[in-house]
Amino acid sequence: MDLDKDNANPTILNPSDLPSRRQESIGRRRNEGGTGLFDGLIPQYNYLNDPFEQSALSSDSEDEVSEIIDEQEVYDLISSISDPEHPLSLGSLAVVNLPDIHIQPPISPFSSISTVLVEITPTITHCSLATVIGLGVRVRLEQALPPRFRVDVRIKKGTHSTDEAVNKQLGDKERVAAALENGTLMGVIRKMLSTCE
Amino acid sequence: MAATNETKYSHLLQPLATLSPPSNSRTWQTAPHPSQPIVATACSDRSVRVYSLTSFTLLHSITGGHKRSVRSVGWKPGVRGQSVLATGSFDASAGIWRRRDDGEDPQDFTNHGGRRDGEDEEEDDDDDEYQFACILDGHESEIKSLAWSPSGQYLATCSRDKSVWIWEELEDDNFETVAVLQEHDGDVKCVNWHPEEDLLVSASYDDTVRLYKEDSDDWMQVASIDGHKMTVWWAEFEGSGMSSKDWRKGREGLDERQRNYIEELERSGPRLATCSDDCTARIWRRKPREGQNSGSSGMPSIIRSTAIDEEWFEESVLPQQHTRAIYSVSWSQTSGLLVSAGSDGKIVVYKERWKSAPFQAHNEHGTLAEWVVIAELWEAHGVFEINHVTWAPRKDKGVRWEGEEVILSTGDDGEVKVWELNEQSGVSAVAKGDEMVA
Repeated sequence: MDLDKDNANPTILNPSDLPSRRQESIGRRRNEGGTGLFDGLIPQYNYLNDPFEQSALSSDSEDEVSEIIDEQEVYDLISSISDPEHPLSLGSLAVVNLPDIHIQPPISPFSSISTVLVEITPTITHCSLATVIGLGVRVRLEQALPPRFRVDVRIKKGTHSTDEAVNKQLGDKERVAAALENGTLMGVIRKMLSTCE
Repeated sequence: MAATNETKYSHLLQPLATLSPPSNSRTWQTAPHPSQPIVATACSDRSVRVYSLTSFTLLHSITGGHKRSVRSVGWKPGVRGQSVLATGSFDASAGIWRRRDDGEDPQDFTNHGGRRDGEDEEEDDDDDEYQFACILDGHESEIKSLAWSPSGQYLATCSRDKSVWIWEELEDDNFETVAVLQEHDGDVKCVNWHPEEDLLVSASYDDTVRLYKEDSDDWMQVASIDGHKMTVWWAEFEGSGMSSKDWRKGREGLDERQRNYIEELERSGPRLATCSDDCTARIWRRKPREGQNSGSSGMPSIIRSTAIDEEWFEESVLPQQHTRAIYSVSWSQTSGLLVSAGSDGKIVVYKERWKSAPFQAHNEHGTLAEWVVIAELWEAHGVFEINHVTWAPRKDKGVRWEGEEVILSTGDDGEVKVWELNEQSGVSAVAKGDEMVA
């Protein structure tokens, strides 16, 4: 199996060199529950509206709603995702990097929608798994961040041979939604995200 | 909560209702019935929800047909005595569903002596539900959109497999594939029909829009529209005969150029609106054929087949209000207003009007008219994306004038919201489209 890997000898960063502030994950609690095949994958949209859910949340953390989410927090959410072909995290492989995470605040006083842009750096320029990694990052953030965040995941310019095509796929909501209904693909994503607890 | 920049525009979008109960997962698209006060909503939980536009409540839930998200729904037009619904799903199939209509016409009403809902319900329980009629298999991957032709003769479907299929219903539930069109280089996101001709439009992930017509038993591409720089999510034709209904209907006081301009628009026929990931919505117009006078003296000739190609040009780009992908744009069939919505959660309403004098030079593709924003609503579905927006006749008891319309928006929050468009008092004339030129 190792022979099939796109990159059998990736550069690995020392865990102590990775950017960190604290390891508590704000998204963890949104992943619990749901025993059905798809339940965990469907963005839990009602979580801000459901009064019972809300009270459960507020006991967890008083300032959940108003909590400011910064780049480090987003990094913490995605750096622990496992690479689909190595038993290593995307953070330690430098696929996701703190300086490549950008948060845009709402563009207007009438809006509360923020944007998170994550640029990922595939380990090698023709890595066929770039799309899967990007999808994993997008799914992770859509599940973990409050719904007021729009998540844009892109391949960092010049780091991948087909970055435009991959970016177009990752930016297509309908394709992403269909991918989430694909059992095989979701199996891979679930495995990648299993190290995120 | 929804917020509006209240002072800026001439109209306000105000909430009338949320169809209840909402779905608890993403809803994709809502189709108003062509004659009854009901809508069907395509849901990611693999169901279709049929709601009343009179009571704004759920009437039917159509489940058990599709194995994946229902992405698109469409009512067959021109059917009597029953309602026929087509559903397109991520499971690559399309379904046809039928339901005997409620006896809401006067004749039936007397038959039943005005029975109340609920009394006789047990005995015709089966008849009350939407019955699965048949499945249309053929696409290799997710169906993204479907649309019936205005006559109901054809059903078009499109898919991530890059193809557009045209089906013809030969007899009840017997559909034949009459065309498989594979002109696009990417997912086909949307199909729609011209209101007067059997002219089909498709919009795609390959950033293009294409038009198709039948010519001596073969459906073929007759035009390709390039202009959008990213995925085109929606394409929809203008209604039929709008120049006698919309801003163009009052002809007094127009100068010759304006009158000529209206005639030119009439010769082109209904226009096309498209919207895209590139955050723009655009209007396209067909170049009238030389010597073709409003289609009246259409000369049937063998030569016609070589001249089936059409030329469509970009007439205008709507004022750019959206900051993320625009997923949907819709023409009002009665007022000619346009509405758009998308990933940024905004709903924007546009109106066309005469440009104020002095007129711009009237070059080849010059236009004497312009589109202006008359209403803008932020966060119409809270922080969620809006996947579809459309106009529908207003049918609740609050209807204020004959032909009043509401806007229906369908969102990632699982909700379908109903909006009323109200003129805002105390807005300066500059922002009011109507009075501008007069």
